[in-house]
Amino acid sequence: MPVLEASGVRKQFGGVVALAGAQFALETGEVHALIGSNGCGKSTLCKIIAGSVAADAGSLLLDGRPVSFAGPRQAAAAGIGVFYQELSVIREMTVAENIYLGREPRNRVGMLDREALEAAVAAALSQFGEVLGAGVHPRTRVGDLSADQSQLVEILKVLAANPRIIIFDEATAALDRNQVTVVFQRIRTLKAEGRSVIFITHRMDEVFEIADRVTVMRNGATVFTCALAQTTRDALVGAMVGGAVVRAGRERRHVPSEAIALEVENLTSAKLAGVSFRLRRGEIVGLGGLHGQGQSELLRALFGATPLRSGAVRVGGETLDPRGPRAVMRRSIAYVSGDRGRYGVMAIRPIFENLVISLLARDRRWTVARQRLEGEISPFIERLKLKFSSLRAAVSELSGGNQQKVVLGRWLATRPSVLLLDDPTKGIDIQTKEDLYATMDELCSQGVAILLHSSDDEELLAVADRVLVFNGGQVMGELSGEQRTRFALYQAAYASKHPA
Amino acid sequence: MPAPKAVALLTQPLSIAVVAILALLAAGELLSPGFASPRQIVTLLTIAALLGVVAAGQNLVILGGREGIDLSVGGIISFAAFLAGNIMQQQDAYLAQALLIVLCVSFLIGLTTGLGVTLLHIPPLVMTLGMLGVVQGGLVLLTRGVPSGRAAPTLSRIVSEPILFGLPGILFIWILVGVALTLVLRRTTFGFNVYAIGTNEPAAALAGVPVRRTRALLFALSGLLSGLTGILLLGYTEYVFVGAGDQYMLPSIIAVVIGGTSLAGGSGGYVGTMAGAIVLVLLQSILTTLNIPPFGRQIVFGVTLLGLMLLYGRQRRLRG
Amino acid sequence: MAAVVFLVLCTVNAVLQPTFLRFGVAASNVAAFLPMALVAVGQTYVVLASDIDLSAGAIVSLVNVVVVSIIDGMGGSGTSMALGLAAGLTLGLTCGVVNGLCVAYLRFQPIVTTFATGIVFAGFALWVLPEAGRQVPPALYLTYAGSVLGVPTVVWILAAAIAFAAIVARTRFYQALRATGGNMQAAYQTGVPVARVRLGAYTISGLFAALAAFALVGETASGDPLIGGALTLSSVTAVVLGGTALRGCVGGVTGSILGAFILGLISNVIFFAQLPFEWQGLIQGLIILTALAGGVVMARGRQD
Repeated sequence: MPVLEASGVRKQFGGVVALAGAQFALETGEVHALIGSNGCGKSTLCKIIAGSVAADAGSLLLDGRPVSFAGPRQAAAAGIGVFYQELSVIREMTVAENIYLGREPRNRVGMLDREALEAAVAAALSQFGEVLGAGVHPRTRVGDLSADQSQLVEILKVLAANPRIIIFDEATAALDRNQVTVVFQRIRTLKAEGRSVIFITHRMDEVFEIADRVTVMRNGATVFTCALAQTTRDALVGAMVGGAVVRAGRERRHVPSEAIALEVENLTSAKLAGVSFRLRRGEIVGLGGLHGQGQSELLRALFGATPLRSGAVRVGGETLDPRGPRAVMRRSIAYVSGDRGRYGVMAIRPIFENLVISLLARDRRWTVARQRLEGEISPFIERLKLKFSSLRAAVSELSGGNQQKVVLGRWLATRPSVLLLDDPTKGIDIQTKEDLYATMDELCSQGVAILLHSSDDEELLAVADRVLVFNGGQVMGELSGEQRTRFALYQAAYASKHPA
Repeated sequence: MPAPKAVALLTQPLSIAVVAILALLAAGELLSPGFASPRQIVTLLTIAALLGVVAAGQNLVILGGREGIDLSVGGIISFAAFLAGNIMQQQDAYLAQALLIVLCVSFLIGLTTGLGVTLLHIPPLVMTLGMLGVVQGGLVLLTRGVPSGRAAPTLSRIVSEPILFGLPGILFIWILVGVALTLVLRRTTFGFNVYAIGTNEPAAALAGVPVRRTRALLFALSGLLSGLTGILLLGYTEYVFVGAGDQYMLPSIIAVVIGGTSLAGGSGGYVGTMAGAIVLVLLQSILTTLNIPPFGRQIVFGVTLLGLMLLYGRQRRLRG
Repeated sequence: MAAVVFLVLCTVNAVLQPTFLRFGVAASNVAAFLPMALVAVGQTYVVLASDIDLSAGAIVSLVNVVVVSIIDGMGGSGTSMALGLAAGLTLGLTCGVVNGLCVAYLRFQPIVTTFATGIVFAGFALWVLPEAGRQVPPALYLTYAGSVLGVPTVVWILAAAIAFAAIVARTRFYQALRATGGNMQAAYQTGVPVARVRLGAYTISGLFAALAAFALVGETASGDPLIGGALTLSSVTAVVLGGTALRGCVGGVTGSILGAFILGLISNVIFFAQLPFEWQGLIQGLIILTALAGGVVMARGRQD
């Protein structure tokens, strides 16, 4: 009998379906990997199991008995512990306070026993020994830790609750190889103790290294489950992408010209360690590599959304000081984030307002001439095949893909010459993706230069003319022509040191 | 689909406010015949206009989001009324001069607040409360605690005497403010920017909206509209006691909320707020008619606001 | 930082008012600042959870008039005093619970909600006692102004408040409170009973507002329905001056008490500097605004 079984789980956020009938069973004492592309519903499924998201439908069995958690507190009491991808640590509190939050040791009269707390945490920290890196003490503020250290603290926090079912949602994302090795040793011990682990990762190697079984998810549904001994990488990748694989040899009409559109020299910032490259007109340059290696950071810094420390940026041969989005957009540069909810749409506002807001910023006119603006945006509505009931409807009524088209359309209407795309196809459907690829191709054939970051490697290889592979805030390799293969990409991504 | 549309229309805050206005008028007429007489309605609208103009500024600040709220409006109203009265000294010759100076000063006070909020990142609640203390202190300095100054005759005439269709000028001023504000919000880049920063500030910044400038201007406009209210109040009562503006602080927020502007920012508009101001004044008037003492009115007000929070002001669940 | 400002103000005050350091004067200063300090202590817990209580001053007024009315109405006997204080305590706690339920369980926006409940509480205060007046028996205010075991009563009360804060700071509740203020979503996901914690903070704020009301009864020996009005703003000001961040998690009660004393000393210094009276309001307003801005900017500097 599985220790945990979820079936028929459905969940919708606004108009977007996150889970459309997921089936999942976890056996006692196994490490069960959960894989799938970005936005396929893995995290949502885990949060439902953890009680922090309420399912719309479906059942959850714990030890064969139906359970229904009112919240994370009840799930934790039932022995479920979760490593949250976005971390659940409090930055302003210390390492010790975070690890034992809600479980602080108390003395006889019921007061916190700080000494016991810090001793317990010091012992827990010593499990990680050397790989923890410098500057982690029980009294260190978590906000002062590096990304990998914060992740290790989150892991210790999960384990401090002594759970029997542990969900690791991207628990190794910021860890280097040595840290991963130590965490895996810990997971094997947990397994030996009879605990069960759900393991989510974007690194296929880790799946084959640590997991006993794997469940593949696609578009909010679980596709299949099998033992890892009985499958291959290719089979899993095939299951993740489904039938609609975007192939590296897709048709391209655009031909990069020789004129340089954007030139970047030795950029450094909090997360960039010296990045240089040139982007030609009519060219798509992809930014690849493992998640969070400086790709997004580069695009945001170029657009003036995060500060640069040093380096030079030239647009069409002239120096650009990226001190803010308004200064950068004046030089005919546009930025589109794939994180639509946070950095893209004004969700409760009408589609029209969302589409013209950047045009208004570009034109610097006092008044809004609705007719003229509608005329300016309508070609892009058509080109992007944007579907909506009325321009007055709220953007939140649209599907995720159409929301993304609104954000892109907003910028295309300003007729930019350089387009910075920050994972623009995150969590959107295949047809919308195809529409976006076609638009990008067309823009390039008109001389627009595109810098594209994507967390979808297949897409990056298929769409970009060249791919710069990032690691630790640096460009570790460049792939072009026939080199643009997954193999070469992973080779470059894993080529050097892991993030520090 | 006519049925769902009708339901949607009825549950619109503006429709609710309009229904509330009619219901309150009917209730008032039942309780005290003559309550809904044209004459009485004009008086009520005049009082509502004063509230409506300060609520316009409050409305702008709240629309801009990020816990936007302006608690300094009452202080600025008193300050503006005092200043205007002392410059005019009951003489029409100084009227224009008084208007210009007072509106500039109130705009600058609001702008200072706005700069504190945007450049120093001081929460609006703290910043406007602090500014309220400064303005009140300044008022004491100027008045030495003794009210002085009187409205120019023309100002009083424009505000309270019938000028067209038997309606007093203040109503036309209010309508003018309403039309202007609605046009600003719906037909200008500034208005679009206000809704954008109120809904999603990071996204607005990335779309090229000048976030700081827009927000600072919202507070400055709130100061300006409070100043205008002070001038109108002076015209309405001819002379003004020291704390005259204090009574507007809370109702200005309630009127905005009744009118359906979300306290989270980014949705709502001024037409609803105008209706909200009328609802409040009617409610107040009925309570007075019923001989309910001031504390009773206060309690009813507070409970009304809490009821409105139940309708519009609820925050997101922590559970997805 | 707050401690430095406090010491500077003490020095300036001592220069301007030579009797400042005398025992009697110091005790009367503590007595004068105590109500604000108590409200600020309660406010601190609410602010640590990243909420705010704008009804605290109104609760002070309401409890003040209810306590005085009960004691005076029952003839000022010992029983009446016990009953009056018990009723006041219950009332303060109840007001806090109402705030907590609205904010934490009904999920109302804290600023406007406590603003609204404050209006209601203040309305009830006017209902109970429309105008300042009534008397409490000398036993009550003489005890308050007097000494116990050679130490002024007001110092005992302050010490008790500090002891309470020290104990609370060593509970799981306090950690949960800070976590809630630091990142509500993360705290919820960790299993912190966020709603219960916020309710608890508002209840403590109600409790301390009631205690402040008692102090005001002892100080003024009569009831006043408007007495707490100014305390809401000054308590928030004291909390911010004391280094507690309005976004929650960072700070503590000690700072808020210092903040309250700083506010009191500013008034003192302005008074003894013999500024013309009409300047005092403006100068005080400007100093407070500057201090608030400085406090907010400093708190942010620490975080970055």
